[in-house]
Amino acid sequence: MSMTASRMLARDWRGGELGVLVAALILAVAVVSGISAFTTRLQSALEQESHRFLAADRVVRSGFDMPADWIGEAGSRGLAHARTLTFPSMVFAGEENMFLASVKAVTEAYPLRGSLTYSEQPFGQVLPGERGPEPGQVWIDSRLFALLDVEIGDTVAVGDADFTVVAAARTEPDQSASFMGYGPRVLMHYDDIAATGVVQPGSRVEFRQLYAGPESELNDFVTWLEERLGDNQKLLDVNQGQPGIGSALARAESFLLLAGSLGVVLAGVAIALAARRFSERHNDYVAIMKSLGATSGSVNRLYGSSLLLLGVVATALGCLAGWGMQAAFFGLFAEQMPVAPGPSGWRPYIIGSATALTCLLCFAWPPLRRLGLASPLRVLRRDMPTEARRTLGDYVIGLTAVTLLMWAYSQNWKLTFAVLAGLAITVLLGLVLALTLLRGGRLVGMSAGSIWRLALAGLQRRGTANALQVVIFAMAIMLLLVLLLVRTSLIDEWQTQLPPDTPNHFMLNIAPEEVQGVDQMLRSESVASEALYPMIRVRLMSVNGEALERTDDRNQPRRQRESNITWSDTLPVGNELLAGEWWAPDSAEPLVSVEVEYAERLGVTVGDKLGFLIGSEPLEATVTSIRSLDWQSFKPNFWLVFPPRALASYPATFMTSFHLGEGDKAFLNRFIRNFPTVTVVEMDVVIEQVRSIVDQVSAAIELVLAVIMGAGSLVLVAGVQASVDARMHESAILRALGARRSLILGGLFIEFAALGLFAGLLATVAAEISVYILQTWVMDMSYSPSAWVWPVGVGAGMALIAGLGVFSCRRVVSSPPVALLREL
Amino acid sequence: MIKAENLLKRVPMAGSELEILKGINLEIKSGESAAIVGASGSGKSTLLGLLAGLDEPSEGRVIIGDTDLSQLDEDGRALFRGKHIGFVFQSFQLLPALTALENVMLPLELNGQPDAREQAEHFLQRVELTERMTHYPRQMSGGEQQRVAIARAFAARPDILFADEPTGNLDTRTGSHIVEVLFELNREQGATLVLVTHDQGLAELCERRLLLDAGELVSD
Repeated sequence: MSMTASRMLARDWRGGELGVLVAALILAVAVVSGISAFTTRLQSALEQESHRFLAADRVVRSGFDMPADWIGEAGSRGLAHARTLTFPSMVFAGEENMFLASVKAVTEAYPLRGSLTYSEQPFGQVLPGERGPEPGQVWIDSRLFALLDVEIGDTVAVGDADFTVVAAARTEPDQSASFMGYGPRVLMHYDDIAATGVVQPGSRVEFRQLYAGPESELNDFVTWLEERLGDNQKLLDVNQGQPGIGSALARAESFLLLAGSLGVVLAGVAIALAARRFSERHNDYVAIMKSLGATSGSVNRLYGSSLLLLGVVATALGCLAGWGMQAAFFGLFAEQMPVAPGPSGWRPYIIGSATALTCLLCFAWPPLRRLGLASPLRVLRRDMPTEARRTLGDYVIGLTAVTLLMWAYSQNWKLTFAVLAGLAITVLLGLVLALTLLRGGRLVGMSAGSIWRLALAGLQRRGTANALQVVIFAMAIMLLLVLLLVRTSLIDEWQTQLPPDTPNHFMLNIAPEEVQGVDQMLRSESVASEALYPMIRVRLMSVNGEALERTDDRNQPRRQRESNITWSDTLPVGNELLAGEWWAPDSAEPLVSVEVEYAERLGVTVGDKLGFLIGSEPLEATVTSIRSLDWQSFKPNFWLVFPPRALASYPATFMTSFHLGEGDKAFLNRFIRNFPTVTVVEMDVVIEQVRSIVDQVSAAIELVLAVIMGAGSLVLVAGVQASVDARMHESAILRALGARRSLILGGLFIEFAALGLFAGLLATVAAEISVYILQTWVMDMSYSPSAWVWPVGVGAGMALIAGLGVFSCRRVVSSPPVALLREL
Repeated sequence: MIKAENLLKRVPMAGSELEILKGINLEIKSGESAAIVGASGSGKSTLLGLLAGLDEPSEGRVIIGDTDLSQLDEDGRALFRGKHIGFVFQSFQLLPALTALENVMLPLELNGQPDAREQAEHFLQRVELTERMTHYPRQMSGGEQQRVAIARAFAARPDILFADEPTGNLDTRTGSHIVEVLFELNREQGATLVLVTHDQGLAELCERRLLLDAGELVSD
């Protein structure tokens, strides 16, 4: 056939036949490639972020010095490298003042990832530093200034060497977040270690070698290195502990994948609807072409190649739009990102193109393929049935495609199932509705006298078509509601997790006799703080009498391990009792309440006995309850809680957490002067970082939500369009017979609003069920029904569909009826 | 030559079958013009559809020249129509998304004719629509649309032209102008002309008149 597909497409485009189809296809590709590129880049940014928490890409840690030729080898392979050494040591200032500090010596290249921060005054404004102190100089922790009574420019001594204090050390990328051994930091140059004379064989020290560079060179080097590692040398990579934002981001990713999957389903439905309408409208054209000599094969080739061409153009535009979407996002938020996002590679765009191909083959091609079967007799008899009607096979193909696309995209069967369950409920309820509408019989008939009777007659007359339309509208509204519900509870949860007064400082090592004084000072300075919790360091030795192995292997669930325990009369605030019972307030028995993950790892439950060592004293306690708690609350949390009287005879220190605004940091100087032995841990920088990441991800979620809303609107538009011809035809006849404008528009409004009402009701029921499955199974969140979703779902459904419906049919009152009748 | 042998057409209707054509036998010679006339519902359009190979008979067969249409499947008949048959319809049946010129080019393109454009322009000139070539059907009057349809029918130089109520949607004056154009081009090309009409005047312009009544050929 010499008439090319491109010419036919151009003609159809001019005729406005392809708008929804092309828009839906572009949207599908844009959503998939955009979200996929976005998550890929975000993930690579987060990976870099986690490298930052190592201060390198790979680290070898050891209690002993490591061969210098490892560093040489790394250098010859083009990798960046650095060394650190951490050890506890007394720091002296003059004759009077000394304090046990945690000294860290670093080479010039440290850190390889992330950056050091310092301030020019204790607790002063935080500044980024390119590198650590020069030889002969030290940076010291803000609180050491008060403890040692020194200022910038004074001299302090570590071992045999004297150093000039040039700055307050604020943060290091690989600062340990654990509270143990958390002495105030003294940061010095690696070359000064020898001069101090402190590090002797057998000293408690930690050597680290840090490496960074391109992933392939790094992997080669690691392979080389692993053969040489001894028992006391441990290789660390990015999986070694991230801060508490991990699960928030994992959920955000689930959300984005869910949004993407829903976007694909919505676009698929819109494509199917648009293709069906296109095919219905082209039935007559094909009949004419066939009467003029076109064969089924040539018709199929023509429409097939048109579709292919359309697919190629839409895919290119969709990929471009997807690229633009994620680029715009990263462009907007680049300054707030802790690290630059990595490249996305080609994969997102390949996924996008594959989606387009699948959508075209499974949603658009089935109705178009049947165009080839159109009877040429239609040129003589237009009332012949069309071949465009969907068959069961089409639905099976469509459902399979939706399922596979969603799974391929989310790689998550539970997520796929939750959405499919919602869709299935919508379809089932829709069928029930259809039967009800049809069984109702002709109660009202074609009564053109009143708006209401006209509308109801219309609803009933097209019972099956209306039920199908309700199902399609309901599907679109349901998917949008699901997304809206999940997004709202996700963002709510984040906001309640990190309210503005989240504790951002911790105090540890408060002696029992200081408790009252500390509490008083916090109150008198109006610092918002949590309660003071007692804290005792214990070592878990046995479970039900069976001794545990002593090992550092973190993969070994049952091993000896050290924990901080506390005591309490009541269940700590924010904890939830999952099993067992809380003890009586005056209980003196050795009982223990265990955090659920801790209990699962050890495989213990209520009634089991745990053996501990406190100092050198053994203690056997019976598990009376299992608790869950929120580790990301930045409040004091404990794996193990005992009754107060059971621990009365053991020495304890106290801890608390509190919130300090940025302008209130001077409080810390006053506090340290009063309580020099109390350890203060500043978490404000980390919390601010968590908050900014959560804010960025929330913004990403809103952006994606807006895009998916666009996809949903397309489905609604396509759904309304599908029935416009029939409704216009009827209305044109009524107009010709003298019906007023208000009667026709009013009738159409009521008819579409009724469809919207049914669709909104179906959608809300199905959305609640879907969200329940999603939140409890997939996103690990708690589910509670949302009252607002009912008025929103039903109200928005009615308003949107009535509005779109009347808008699409508006021509029926603005054009002369004869023109419409001729056209239709 | 068109030959119909014992043509029977039944359609399912509310559980039973309705016989629309009841054994039609006829022969129309090459170059002849024949009008099929009869009351509404007598089966005229159905007979035209069968003779043109747009539909299949329930029984009997249609032979055009040496080709037995009943031996061909739908694709075979489509190829046959493309080569040998032209149509003019009551409702014009132009493709709304194509201009007048593109509509006329369509059958030529389907036949793979390289000079489709020149041919189409020539025939549009013949029906006096040179000025309207780039117009869309909705921008033209009924008479103009029918002239485009006639240009399209003759552009492919068919052996047989079937016309279904060609003046049915037109006023008397426009109708007679269309008839003039139709017969003039038909004379020039020497095609066989078979038309269905209610219009007595139009029927009388044909060499033969076939009267259908309730699915039977009652006079020739």
